[in-house]
Amino acid sequence: MSISRRIIAVTAFLILVFAVIPILIAVSGRKDFYYTLSSVALLSMASAGVWLTFHIGRINIGQGAYALMGGYVSAILVMSYGVSFWWTLPLAGLFCALASILIGLPILRLRGVYFAMVTLVLTEVARLLALALPVTQGAKGITSIPVEVFGLTLVPDFTMMENPRIAFYYLSVALMTACFALMHRLVNSRIGHICMSLQQNEELASSIGINIAQIRVIAYAISSFLGGLAGAVFVAATQSVYPSSFTVADSINFMLNCFLGGLGYVFGPMLGTLVLYFGWNLLFETGRFQLLIYSALMIALMLVLPNGLLSLGTLRKER
Amino acid sequence: MTQSQMTRRTLLGAVGVFALAAAGGPAAAADAKLKIGFVGVTSGPAAAWGTSNVRSMQTRAAWLNETGGVKIGDKTYEIEIITFDDQKDPKRAVEGMEKMAQEGIHYVVGPNVDDGAAAVRPVAEKNNIIYFPYAFPKELYTKPASNAVLGMIANYQSGPAIYKYLMDKKGVKKVAFVAANESDPLSQRDSGVAAAKALGLEVVADKDVYQNDTRDFTPVLTPIVALKPDLLVLSGVAPANAPLLIRSARELGYEGLISAETAQDAKVLSEGAGDLANGFISVGGASTPEIASDTMKEFVDRYTKMFGEYNDESNTKVYALEYIIETLKANPKAIDNVEEFKKTMDSFSAPNPFLKGDAKLSYVGVTSFGQKRQLAVPMVVNEYKDGAFQTLFVGTVD
Amino acid sequence: MEQVVANGLYLGAQYALVALGLTLIFGLMNVLNFAHGQMYVLGGFITYAVYGQLGLPFVVAVIASGITLAIIGGFMERFLFRTVIRRSHREESTMLLAAATAFFFDAVILLIFGEKQRGVPKIVKGVFNDFGIILPYDRILVGLLAGAIILGFILFMKYTKPGRAMRALAQDRMAAQLMGVEVNRYTMIGFALGAMLAGFVGGLLATITGINSGIGGPISIKAFMMIMIGGAGVVSGAIAGGFILGMMESVGLTVLRQYGDVTYLVIFAALMVFLSIRPNGLMGKPWG
Repeated sequence: MSISRRIIAVTAFLILVFAVIPILIAVSGRKDFYYTLSSVALLSMASAGVWLTFHIGRINIGQGAYALMGGYVSAILVMSYGVSFWWTLPLAGLFCALASILIGLPILRLRGVYFAMVTLVLTEVARLLALALPVTQGAKGITSIPVEVFGLTLVPDFTMMENPRIAFYYLSVALMTACFALMHRLVNSRIGHICMSLQQNEELASSIGINIAQIRVIAYAISSFLGGLAGAVFVAATQSVYPSSFTVADSINFMLNCFLGGLGYVFGPMLGTLVLYFGWNLLFETGRFQLLIYSALMIALMLVLPNGLLSLGTLRKER
Repeated sequence: MTQSQMTRRTLLGAVGVFALAAAGGPAAAADAKLKIGFVGVTSGPAAAWGTSNVRSMQTRAAWLNETGGVKIGDKTYEIEIITFDDQKDPKRAVEGMEKMAQEGIHYVVGPNVDDGAAAVRPVAEKNNIIYFPYAFPKELYTKPASNAVLGMIANYQSGPAIYKYLMDKKGVKKVAFVAANESDPLSQRDSGVAAAKALGLEVVADKDVYQNDTRDFTPVLTPIVALKPDLLVLSGVAPANAPLLIRSARELGYEGLISAETAQDAKVLSEGAGDLANGFISVGGASTPEIASDTMKEFVDRYTKMFGEYNDESNTKVYALEYIIETLKANPKAIDNVEEFKKTMDSFSAPNPFLKGDAKLSYVGVTSFGQKRQLAVPMVVNEYKDGAFQTLFVGTVD
Repeated sequence: MEQVVANGLYLGAQYALVALGLTLIFGLMNVLNFAHGQMYVLGGFITYAVYGQLGLPFVVAVIASGITLAIIGGFMERFLFRTVIRRSHREESTMLLAAATAFFFDAVILLIFGEKQRGVPKIVKGVFNDFGIILPYDRILVGLLAGAIILGFILFMKYTKPGRAMRALAQDRMAAQLMGVEVNRYTMIGFALGAMLAGFVGGLLATITGINSGIGGPISIKAFMMIMIGGAGVVSGAIAGGFILGMMESVGLTVLRQYGDVTYLVIFAALMVFLSIRPNGLMGKPWG
């Protein structure tokens, strides 16, 4: 792809998320979409992490654990140590990345469903840890986290904005954009190609002198960093964190987002999250048939596009 | 496909979904419609909690509308219930509250659990929504929080009354607690243990937990039954789990009393535990024959007709909507002004249509929260007997 | 202590039966069937309707559960999973399909049977109480029935033609195909059989623990853990995994109770450590 076309695509995306969507919201008056789309942005970041582990050939159903961990790290730093919210974001991400290296070293040797299962169990372990540890205040959770975090340092006019939801939206979307830009860069780098080869044949990759253990741990750490970051921002939005803030259901959803978007496409998680999360919301008016319609549509989508929504283009080419 | 094509497709997808969403948005509210919201769990393992809530609201709303709507000030309103299923996920609960704000709703019933109730607080306060959670954390109702109103009796209010009653009347001395390892039940267990200790009871088990998806409770209960407590408290027990716990305990030879501080359903108990559930003590609302008024009986009838089957949990959940409407009647200005609503709460009083005699609807909670942020629901302590509840005693909360 | 062991054995028998169907489907098709728990729930509700509501004999109800689920399972394989597996580049994609099916079942069950916990009358009354063991007779009966079904299933897989064909398929799909095994037919039979087992166990346990429209998801997840412990796709592994998890819970809940809320934390953490040491479970074959 030529550089100029790439610039056009990126510019178009930026204009869409930073200008067109806010204008559309203003025109339609659907202010609730700010929160919905912020959620989509944050959840798609966490899903992007899961996607990266798919890229090294691992099914990750443990992202909820890191999102929860990141949320608690941020909440504890803000509440107990008075750290600025802005600093807690990278710190939460880094904490999760470090934790994931420790956890990842033994479990990344597992493959296929075994890795999937052990990460699923990890999500439950994280929830139970949050219930049991004194520092997380157990069952009571951490609540009433001060919202002034938005007023400090980096973006001083956040509180001036008539609606903190808008600020939250811009923050989430900016993070998402950065995250996917990075992912795109990473996947097309040398490491990205090595990851790809891991996905296809680990033994072969290893035989040509690639340190596969190291690559796997790095990918998993990046993945967990994104999960932790997303969790931390979410906690700021709800001003509370509970052991049940991110659960097994979330871990499974992160994975489903990747499938729906398409495992072969960097931007798959973004589209997958948008469709799955937003789709559920759009069906809110169908009342008690919401889940029925939602799941039926999912099955139908899967039958038509088993390789994800983004495979629509290749499908047309094949025919 | 190249990356740029993909980006473009993502963009197009986003715009498309958005356009669809904007088009499908809510129509402008009709003048004479009063929308009341519900945000809570109506699917998944805890579906019973929210479903009994929603259905109580829908039954009562349909009834009121059928009889000509509700007259507030000089306008007559039709009641419309807007429901949102948060799937017991705090993130979705926030989403639901945003939806309610978008619909211009100021009064919302729910959420059903602690984490959801805490998570929606910023949204509710920002958008002038008064909400009625079925969650017990005190900080939701004490200052500086002011938009949440506890919709039922908290376990730290009913628990001590039940334990005291059982101490005096049944000679209970040793108590054991068992709870699911989730936030709500564990918090309720902790306050229950504290209350029991304050009464001078001996607490023989206060750390036993089970996973909420447990289907066989015998392994959990085996060590507890061996301690031979006089009273086994099922803290924050889900209606689905109560009969299983009771059955396992009884089949293991447990002979003491069993109690819970949450509302239960008689049908569920009779199907799940049969005669073994006899003597089980729980908290109810208004449907026992001793205290239910004709209005309450008609409510149960209408509910049964509308949904095929009554749920006894609704006995405590019939109240929130009634309080909202009656308070609005008392102060019509509150219809879109929650500050007026809060002012009215301090002095509000109206007859309680669901109870026999001259019981009153009013806001309470000064003792527990320092401000009136709780519905005065009669604290009806029930005993299960052969498929139905019998009133053991009726208490009040101030 | 005898009681703890008895609890563990009973729990193990019921877990093993839940895990069997899941592992069969996984072994044949590499599909991690997220809808397994929902199939169990559906089986339970069919027994509830036939035995509890219509009043027909319990055996009829359980058989009805099994057969209905077998038919549903067959259709699922034929019209959903086969299509997706054929057309997808990565076989993990079936996980989304399985999850969507699970949600679909959840929705249907909730709409038809409601949100309440349901139960059926006991099949046998009375409690066995001797040798320091207390065990209600209906649990003993269900435990024995579970054992009989497990045994029957093992014999079926070992000595019948379809059983042998399915084992061949699970071991090496390509080789089995070359040897003349009708792959499509036996995959469908296998899926139906797995679903039938879920239906049986749902029906059986409806008499003990009742049934509830929301528990499908958690049951699937628990079943995943069992087959991971034993080794995915291997029948003996699922049985071992079921009994091990049952015993761990029973013993853990008694031994660790004084430490408070950590029982399950310890069980799950131990599971993670165990899998790190034995990446393919007790007797699983390595799956990429």
